[in-house]
Amino acid sequence: MAIHSIVCIKSVVRAAPDGVGRRTPENSELNPFDRPALEAALRIKAAEGGTLTVLSMGPPVGVEALAEAQAMGADRTILISDAALAGSDTLVTARVLAAAIARIGACDLIFFGTRSADSDTGQVGPQTAAVLALPFVGGVKQIERRDGIWEIRRLMDDWEELWQVDVPLALTIHPKAFKPRSIALPGIAGAYAQPAIETWGIRELTLAADQVGLSGSPTRVTRMQKVVRKRVCRMLEGEPQQQVEALIAHLGRMGMMST
Amino acid sequence: MTEPFIDAKHRVLRRTVRAFCEQELRPIAAEIDQEARFPWEVAEQMGRLGYFGIQAPPELGGAGLDTVSYAIIIEEVSRVSAAIGLCLSVHNSVALFPLLAFGSAEQHQRWVPSLARGERIGAFCLTEPNAGSDASGINATALPDGDHWVVNANKVFVTNGGIADICLIFARTDPAAGRKGISVIVAERGIPGFVVGDLEDLCGMRANPVSSIRLYDSRVPRDHLLGKTGQGLAIGLAALDTGRIGIAAQALGIAQAALDEGVRYAQQRQQFGVPLARHQAIQMMIADMATQVDAARMMVYRAAWTKDQGAVVSRTAAQAKLFASEAACTVTDLAVQIHGGYGYSKAYAVERYYRDARVTRIYEGTSEVHRMVIAREVLG
Repeated sequence: MAIHSIVCIKSVVRAAPDGVGRRTPENSELNPFDRPALEAALRIKAAEGGTLTVLSMGPPVGVEALAEAQAMGADRTILISDAALAGSDTLVTARVLAAAIARIGACDLIFFGTRSADSDTGQVGPQTAAVLALPFVGGVKQIERRDGIWEIRRLMDDWEELWQVDVPLALTIHPKAFKPRSIALPGIAGAYAQPAIETWGIRELTLAADQVGLSGSPTRVTRMQKVVRKRVCRMLEGEPQQQVEALIAHLGRMGMMST
Repeated sequence: MTEPFIDAKHRVLRRTVRAFCEQELRPIAAEIDQEARFPWEVAEQMGRLGYFGIQAPPELGGAGLDTVSYAIIIEEVSRVSAAIGLCLSVHNSVALFPLLAFGSAEQHQRWVPSLARGERIGAFCLTEPNAGSDASGINATALPDGDHWVVNANKVFVTNGGIADICLIFARTDPAAGRKGISVIVAERGIPGFVVGDLEDLCGMRANPVSSIRLYDSRVPRDHLLGKTGQGLAIGLAALDTGRIGIAAQALGIAQAALDEGVRYAQQRQQFGVPLARHQAIQMMIADMATQVDAARMMVYRAAWTKDQGAVVSRTAAQAKLFASEAACTVTDLAVQIHGGYGYSKAYAVERYYRDARVTRIYEGTSEVHRMVIAREVLG
């Protein structure tokens, strides 16, 4: 049975300077937490057949992350980019992605990374599932289809949960569950030989400017600053035995070790 | 702001190659240098991913990329392991490129797909004990005998020699014709009389199995002639124009690696109560290194870009190779200096970069030969 999957990815800022960083191709990259999600979807496509659509919302620089997804094997790539989207929080991002997913049409599996390497909220996957009113499983490490039923495994601390879920279904993929493939060079040449990245704005998604961006977002980042933790070097005195005891006592006081 | 000569495809490519090299090659780069071991485990992956057929067309199993891409790939691989960058540069530029440029359709089908997928490795066999910079002085012969060539050759310093399956042998097919009697014969490893000599015990590039290759009365089918008889030196020069861009990119990669390590160490190492980077003497070195690397990159990318425009590239490629290889030696030397005694120890990567850089001024045309080429272009 052909499986139609959608993977939502983000182009993240590699190293943010103080304050709000301006995104350039040089300081942006495909969110590393999204690579295992792409890999999981590519393996499902290889095993079951079907199509893989990759979706990203963000400034135009996101086309490079989508080109990577295309080079890895995505069939269709869509960038949702619109000046009105600037300042969108996770809720608005989820609403926009949900609108785009609805526009794409019928699909079986919707993949996300667990979180983004820059804003690190971990909210967009589950929020999008909530907006779409779809079942959701987070931190997934294995996806199988048995007798037409999807069995999803995920790790929770020392427990493994096994879920049986109907599609359509949204998932976040555990960062260590699927080792992302290296991109083959012919894939890069192919991705740029026929540039096929579609760009949608809010008009295509029938959203109004006041529903999105800063004005549509209930939360906003008012300030960003670098936090510098001061490291203190303390020399322990005495014989090795005394030094070890002092170290254990200190770690105990800090709550890092039970004494 | 965008980088000159580079477009979005090249940026994606650079990130891709860098990620692969950091993941697969970095952990073993020092070890393969010390053990003088060619890492098949990584080379096989590279073969599957298209690194051995960078500019070969997709219909022949290649990646179908341009020369700027080729330079970026060699630069990034060499930044981690110059010996593997060398393997790729030689395979892609002086083995595969002449087969593509001068080979017949039948020869393309016979050799290119397996080379482009890295299933077979290519080598360029020009240098002999008594013929280096003066390539026209070779003694190797390939004499017609029925439907074969009978090849006798003693080729030395063959990059990839120990692992090469398909060798471009420069030999005299008409010993009386001087420079015009030299041709290229493609010899496959394993034919009777084909001998791989001992591996060279080299100062740097140790993970590349450089060896001699000798042929004793080896019979090679007549249709293994590349191009026409007498075209050997022209094929060699065309191959070396491409090869120079590769070696220049390799030197650039080594220089960038040395700069990275120099900066890192200067920021970590404390002397006189402050990091080395706070001392003006070290700042002067870092500034010179960064400037040399930047200038080398512009020249290398410009040469590659010029080739992609279809223009004659002899001078720009020669200038890029001359400048980048000299810069690599200067920059690695300064990186060792910043490291002090540790820079002279194999515990630090700059020691390897210093050794690897040196040969870039020698192979695929010495700095002096490149100055001859450039001067000839300038003076007319």
